[in-house]
Amino acid sequence: MASRPSATSRRQVKGEYIETDSGNKVSRKASIAGTANITLGGKTVIQSDVILRGDLHRLPSTKPDGTGIPHAPTAISIGRCTVISSGCVLRPPSRLSRGTYSFYPMKIGDNVFIGHHSIVQAASISSHVYIAEHCVLQPFCIVKENVKILSHTVVPANMVIPSNSLVAGRPARVIGEVGEGWGCTPGAPGEGGRGATVAGEWVEGGELRELVRSIK
Amino acid sequence: MAQPFPYTYYACSCTDDTTTSSKGAFTRARFSANENDDEEDQTFDPRSPRANYSLFPLENLLYCAECQTVRCSRCVTEEIACWFCPSCLFEVPSSMVRSEGNRCTRNCYNCPICTSPMTVNPLDTQDRLVVPDAASVPGGPFYLSCPYCAWSSLDIGIKFERASNITGQLARIKNGGKVVPTLKERERERDRKREKDDKRHFEESTQPSSSSPLGSIDEDTQEAPNSEETFSDLTAFYKNQISISNNTNGSMFNPHDINFGSPSSITRLMSLYGRPGAKPAKKDKPQSMREAYGSTEGFFEVSNSSEDELIERIRTLGWSGTTSIEQRSNQPPHNSSARFLDDIRPIPTLLRTKQSKRCRSCRNILVRPDNKVSSTRYKIKLLALNYIPRVTIRALAPPPPVPSTSTLSNATALRPTFDYDHLQPSKPTHFLLTLRNPLFDPLKVTLATPSYTSGRINHKVTIMCPQFDVGANTDVWDEALNAGTGSKLRNPTSSMSGSSDNGGMQVEAGKIWEKGRNWTSVIVEVIPGRKPISLPGSFGSPAYQEEELDEDDDVLEIPVFVRLEYEVEADKEEKVGGSMGQKTKKEDAFWCVLGVGRVVV
Repeated sequence: MASRPSATSRRQVKGEYIETDSGNKVSRKASIAGTANITLGGKTVIQSDVILRGDLHRLPSTKPDGTGIPHAPTAISIGRCTVISSGCVLRPPSRLSRGTYSFYPMKIGDNVFIGHHSIVQAASISSHVYIAEHCVLQPFCIVKENVKILSHTVVPANMVIPSNSLVAGRPARVIGEVGEGWGCTPGAPGEGGRGATVAGEWVEGGELRELVRSIK
Repeated sequence: MAQPFPYTYYACSCTDDTTTSSKGAFTRARFSANENDDEEDQTFDPRSPRANYSLFPLENLLYCAECQTVRCSRCVTEEIACWFCPSCLFEVPSSMVRSEGNRCTRNCYNCPICTSPMTVNPLDTQDRLVVPDAASVPGGPFYLSCPYCAWSSLDIGIKFERASNITGQLARIKNGGKVVPTLKERERERDRKREKDDKRHFEESTQPSSSSPLGSIDEDTQEAPNSEETFSDLTAFYKNQISISNNTNGSMFNPHDINFGSPSSITRLMSLYGRPGAKPAKKDKPQSMREAYGSTEGFFEVSNSSEDELIERIRTLGWSGTTSIEQRSNQPPHNSSARFLDDIRPIPTLLRTKQSKRCRSCRNILVRPDNKVSSTRYKIKLLALNYIPRVTIRALAPPPPVPSTSTLSNATALRPTFDYDHLQPSKPTHFLLTLRNPLFDPLKVTLATPSYTSGRINHKVTIMCPQFDVGANTDVWDEALNAGTGSKLRNPTSSMSGSSDNGGMQVEAGKIWEKGRNWTSVIVEVIPGRKPISLPGSFGSPAYQEEELDEDDDVLEIPVFVRLEYEVEADKEEKVGGSMGQKTKKEDAFWCVLGVGRVVV
């Protein structure tokens, strides 16, 4: 469900964040281009000074017979409970293919944390991924589930990071595996009740619902 | 220590077995010399060099329900469930792993300079940025290029005709673009050379001259063959000899190589030269045989001139033209002696595995992943964090729940964040130690810690309330329904807002700070120590007076012994003997290390 932050904002609330109907929190200080091409899954946080380049989408291609994509396709899709920290830049990847320069959609899964001042041009980031601060994900890299990327990592273009990896370095290398308990909270099932956890408690790679809730 | 402060590591007890049995005396002697107590009573020292091997984050620990102990990566045995290439994510059957040497045989290559994965690009400049999956673009020769450091296979003069089966094509091209002859071609070449040699030998014998005995060698060794070529030459030579000897009964050779003709000696040789998968040699008496001689037979001489040439090359190319040790070690084994950047080859991607893990002592399976590569599920997963309480520590003063937001949003910017990296010496600082119970039974917890930490700087540590209870991990709604009964000891909002160090709340000894459904927090007071100053009376420069601190000597780590007592229903454990409904007491204990921060020195 695409919810457009600018369209559904509640102007009367004077907070840092504009909260949409599906619970997305988008900072007023984030600069978002091409909102029509961005989908947020709900309960997703976009903090201040984040740059989302939704305007960089694949051009509506029309085939000779008139068929094709009628409207602008999705450029960036972000899942549920994902946190994009301040200063991040999300830019759909692009390349020159068959003589034309075109952009490709970027897909980010659920419960993904992207640390501040990271630059992301990945083709896809799966769920339960933790990206620390000041990382660079070069165009068309693919990050699978349950991956932790340490700070100041540069993931080279076209790299595929398999699931359960611990990644660091410039250029990025898989330096280990995350433990089997990655993202598990003790006694987690159904822990949505009031006061169930110490306020704002969350683990890297786990459910980020508590973190999202604590951001106001 | 990659983890940011504050962190908690758990000590796996498996190392204790080794210290008691073997001579781990070194550790004890040096780091706790005055303690000659029983091994069990000893304080865990996070600074001992051994501690590095027994401390793990809780996520990495497993739990064996049979042995009722924590299992770390050192006390489990691993079984490989499947192999896959981390780059193309294709599963590789185990037979192929053996023959191809743990490397991907598709188009996955890593840059020999910087190890980042390489892409296949067409040489056609117009489509320069096309990535390999665009198979519909045929176009001219292809090359491997590194997106990170811009190294490409063109630097070693290698181009590919097709974008697929790079491995096959690469095996046939030498650096510089020379084609490696196939086995058949090599055979033909060998025969040709041999004939030539024979002819020459014949000529030499008829009209003796002063030519060198290794006649053909000098002529052919402009380029030293690589190990694989040598190997195939040698194999061909010995095989050939057998066949000749079988046909002619060895009569046409001089006496000392009469006995080489048994098939067992070729097998013995083959195993000597270590061909993977070769059958083990039969127990046979080694027989004397004629050895390879001459380049066609896989024998070649290292001459002084080639060494001089090498040195000259190093001199001209300089540092930048040679490979680093790391680059050399990353090279595939047959090219591990690549000295110059011109000799380097793209590295086929190493495979990765999925493993299932068993307890080392009782062989029970602790972790079993799904066999499919794409799946991230587990069939069996026994995690320690479901069995032992999670211990966390953080500064009491201002609780920043979201470290990344605190500096950024206006609302939270006003709140001072706690700087774990700059703890002030001699200033009492309060930390909140929280225990969360994953079990369905309430816990009685006893904490213990040495009052002064070990190491060069001694910090004073006091746990304000070392004995407390932690509630069971019951249903969330139970607590919600019982909320009126006041399960919380203190008002959480006052502590959470963190208006001041002890905003209206006094830090009292013997009282817990806060309590929730399945967690309890207590206060830990830490007085960070000062840098030790050497004995008075030692004069000289100030640098002389202060002892030099090693790296990480300023890290404040607190070892904490956690002892748990809880009651489980007896029928859960032993259905046969125990009377129903009766409760049995259980005990568990472990050491953990709380990394609190760094002290300003």
